[in-house]
Amino acid sequence: MRDRQKEILELLEKSGASLYALLTRLTLRQDVAEELMQELFIKLTNTKGLYKIQNWSAYAHRAAINLAFDWRRKQNRTCLSLDNVHEAASNDCSPLSKLIHAEELQEILEAIGQLNRKSRQALIMRYIQQQPYDDIAEQMGKTAHQVRALCYKAINRLRDTLGSDRKEACDVQNR
Amino acid sequence: MSKIDENEILRRLEQLSQIQPSFEATERAINRARLGFKWGTATASYKSNSPSPIFRFAAAAVLLICAGFLAGRLFAPKPINVEQLRAEIETSLKSSLSASCEQIKDELHQQVRRDLAEFATQTVAASTTVTDQRLAELIQLIEDARMRDRFRVAAALEQIELNRLQDKTQLGNGLQGLVAQTSELLRTERN
Repeated sequence: MRDRQKEILELLEKSGASLYALLTRLTLRQDVAEELMQELFIKLTNTKGLYKIQNWSAYAHRAAINLAFDWRRKQNRTCLSLDNVHEAASNDCSPLSKLIHAEELQEILEAIGQLNRKSRQALIMRYIQQQPYDDIAEQMGKTAHQVRALCYKAINRLRDTLGSDRKEACDVQNR
Repeated sequence: MSKIDENEILRRLEQLSQIQPSFEATERAINRARLGFKWGTATASYKSNSPSPIFRFAAAAVLLICAGFLAGRLFAPKPINVEQLRAEIETSLKSSLSASCEQIKDELHQQVRRDLAEFATQTVAASTTVTDQRLAELIQLIEDARMRDRFRVAAALEQIELNRLQDKTQLGNGLQGLVAQTSELLRTERN
């Protein structure tokens, strides 16, 4: 038990920044990422069957991705008032481009949220976390080839989802 | 189905990957997570150290039973002096019964009298009815006997009448025979 706690603490020291960055990228809000980070470590501590986990870092990243998308799903269900809308994390300065940029990022995150777990994990680790295929394969317990196929399928699915969304928007505009 | 350009998606994913939280925010988040971890550890150790729910339930039940027993002992009435109680009850019963004894006796007499009167009335009524019934039956029997006698007398009279008529016919026939024979005899004598 003590060893596991030590491992979790080591994980926090080693991958804390990376996990926080991942959560910020997926939620686009630093305050929410902070909360989810805390929740993640409480969950990790209280997880039953700790001895079964071999790769703590992979497990934590997977849990962080799930937490972030659970939060996004809850956000879709609850209506936010304008006062509660926080500024999205972005490096752009012009208000219009900032708005467009934030909208684009929200759109693609929504589309990622519609993917299945494996595809989502592979896509995020590859394209958002910028990890090499071999590392992802090791973390997911698959071959690099399988991960590549998952990413390919995920991108295709995103193309479909975002394309259909755009078509609907154009139809509404034409009317 | 129209598809969005793959490069566009990759560009957006690239933008997402370039988002970096500030150093202060990262530090704050890590510290907060550390706190959360400590809290989670404390909770987990409390959970692991605390006895199982069954044991806690059993302990609570034992405590409850003990408390109930003690409360019962504490608030239980003191032992009763049976002799004194008996004497008190006797006195009280005597005083209350002596007053009402006469009244109860009178009521009992009246009740017995009423019951007897009612019983006598019912008996008389019942016996009258039975007597009437028996008399009616006797009358019927007598009437039947008389009717039977009349039938017998009538039958006897009829038989006598029949015998008389038969005798009369025989006598007539005998007389006619006698006349005929006498006439024959007289004619024979004349000749």
